Amino acid sequence: MRTMLVILTIAVIGLGAYSIDLHGDKESLQRTVHAQYTEKLTDASEKLSYLQRAVSQSLLFKDEKAIDSELDSIWRLSSEVRSSIANIPIGQELSNQWLGYLGKLGDEAKKTAKSGDYEAWREKMPQISTNLQALSDEWTTATVDYYKQDGKMDVWMRQVDNKNPNTSFDNIQKTLKDYGESDFPLTLSEADWQKKIELKALQDSVITEKEALEKVKYLFPLIKDATFTVTKSSDTAPYPFYHIQFHQGIRLGYVDLTEKGGHLLSYLVERPVDEAKLSQDEIIKKAEEHLKRLEMKDVAYVEARENHLAWHVTFARVHPGDNALIYADGVQLKIAKDTGELLGANAMEYIQEESIKPQKANPIDWKSFFDNNVRVEEVKNIYTDNGQFEQRLCYEVIAVRDEQTQETFRIVIDAENHNVLKVEYLT
Amino acid sequence: MRLLSILFAFLFAISIVSIPQNDAIAFSDQQIARGAYGDDVIELQARLQYLGFYKSKIDGKFGYNTYWALRNFQEKYGLPIDGIAGAKTKKALAGYSDYDENWVKAQLKAGNQFTYYGGVPLDQQVKNSGGGSTANSGDSSGSSNSNGTDTQIPPKYTERDLQLIANAVYGEARGEPYEGQVAVAAVILNRLESPDFPNTISGIIFQPLAFTAVADGQIWLEPNQRAKEAVIDAMNGWDPSENALYYFNPKTATSKWIWTRPQIKQIGEHIFCS
Repeated sequence: MRTMLVILTIAVIGLGAYSIDLHGDKESLQRTVHAQYTEKLTDASEKLSYLQRAVSQSLLFKDEKAIDSELDSIWRLSSEVRSSIANIPIGQELSNQWLGYLGKLGDEAKKTAKSGDYEAWREKMPQISTNLQALSDEWTTATVDYYKQDGKMDVWMRQVDNKNPNTSFDNIQKTLKDYGESDFPLTLSEADWQKKIELKALQDSVITEKEALEKVKYLFPLIKDATFTVTKSSDTAPYPFYHIQFHQGIRLGYVDLTEKGGHLLSYLVERPVDEAKLSQDEIIKKAEEHLKRLEMKDVAYVEARENHLAWHVTFARVHPGDNALIYADGVQLKIAKDTGELLGANAMEYIQEESIKPQKANPIDWKSFFDNNVRVEEVKNIYTDNGQFEQRLCYEVIAVRDEQTQETFRIVIDAENHNVLKVEYLT
Repeated sequence: MRLLSILFAFLFAISIVSIPQNDAIAFSDQQIARGAYGDDVIELQARLQYLGFYKSKIDGKFGYNTYWALRNFQEKYGLPIDGIAGAKTKKALAGYSDYDENWVKAQLKAGNQFTYYGGVPLDQQVKNSGGGSTANSGDSSGSSNSNGTDTQIPPKYTERDLQLIANAVYGEARGEPYEGQVAVAAVILNRLESPDFPNTISGIIFQPLAFTAVADGQIWLEPNQRAKEAVIDAMNGWDPSENALYYFNPKTATSKWIWTRPQIKQIGEHIFCS
């Protein structure tokens, strides 16, 4: 009995010591994490005030070099504050609103430096400078409590999770939302882009669930005898569509069709795939046959990539006027390596159909455009986004630098003003 | 001029006929072109490297580096220059080079850094990924995943992006239908395009409070091939979420805010919203 008591006492003491040690470790870890988040919070607050100053300073000058230097600071600081805020646990909504606001400010500075439209900048920025000061002050108020938590992470998380609607974060969230809308309203191009991705241009009549199913069976005859489950998109979806899930033997998948006109959004099927039997050439021929059945006849082959079970083959719409490929109107097919069966089709971009404005293509002398040790291997005319939601006619150049190392690049150059829009290193 | 053409044709015919028969069984019978991957491409790259034409990593992916190397080989050996490894080119390659399939594949499997130049002892051409030890030390720190021979993704993404998203998909949605896994990957990629989110894949995935799998550590589970396939489909454009930026499980979600987001559709246990 006495021995038992001794063993029990030792066990209790041991367990207690272990528990204290564990608690100490946990607390130490919490303090380390808390310190890191506090550092990010301080960094964000400091840089936010530098950013506000940089915006204000940009309004001091008429001299282009002096303004450019401030624009450069604004772009850099907005990016740094974004990065700090993205790394603080402050809640998804607030984080998103900050990131959105700061990103737009940085983009505006970058755009102005590129376009040289300083007049528009001077017109817009006084109000934004004032708003940014107000945001910076509110942020300081909202975050003051985070410095009084004695390094405890659980207190921080409780504060973030606080459901009280009058918390200071709610105020700053509201202010950010209001300023975001007033300071950076959607441009015409952005609004057009928004309408495009929300499929506002579709004017076809609404099809019924039964018609949608018939369309699926017509487009994908291989699954015509499948068991289907049809659901409609939620009422709040940007565009209404039918979500049709199917199951037939070894095949399990879905098709999404727009409610207006029954256009194919995407199709994907999962099934076991046997060893590859078809060559790349045969795969591409199969892909072209599938496209015909999907009634996409105005597209041309862009590229193909072989993967574990399937090939991913990309096509793009051909502009009827100048035969340039419109990359934004792409179609992707997934073709099984064993039989060439269509395992997937993605026509989301294809049905959005870009409206292309007529543009000039001014020729480029490649010898003076590129360095002497660059060889232009291939030039193709394409339409692509210029980063400002505009489709531009471009030269897509495949160029090789240095005959010894043969590094290959894909360069996209605006055909009218010769701005370089994209450079990709190809391996 | 005519005489010259005849002489050239004769020499070409001779060069084809006189290809050394080093390796009677080589390659599969399929032609190999840009976009292909797998064993045939590994062999193609190894043989081109053996002859000194290919200087990049042997990774089984037929990209531009392989393409130029192949064209240079075709040019030097008087073959039609098309950058496609058809029957004639493969025969010529097999004739002029050696290919130690077992050795090359062992290096790939071990994740070693290696080359395969002809005339250099093989043991001098290996640098273990851990640094220093020999090729067949059994060190598998660079698994078949790290050598990157099992996937080809659009150039705007990296192997690291693929791995991270696959981890997130597996941690967040491994019990979901395939479509649901592609949708989760698509949400991450949609965030990359949105100005309201960090502008890198790692920034998005590790954004504090963004993903449950990061908070509970499930992101560190080794993703399976299915999760990777789902990410590859999403990277190639598939988006079953229909442009969603968020998703949540209505049975477990604690955030009231997430219920205020406009919903798009439900796949499995997840509701996707914009």
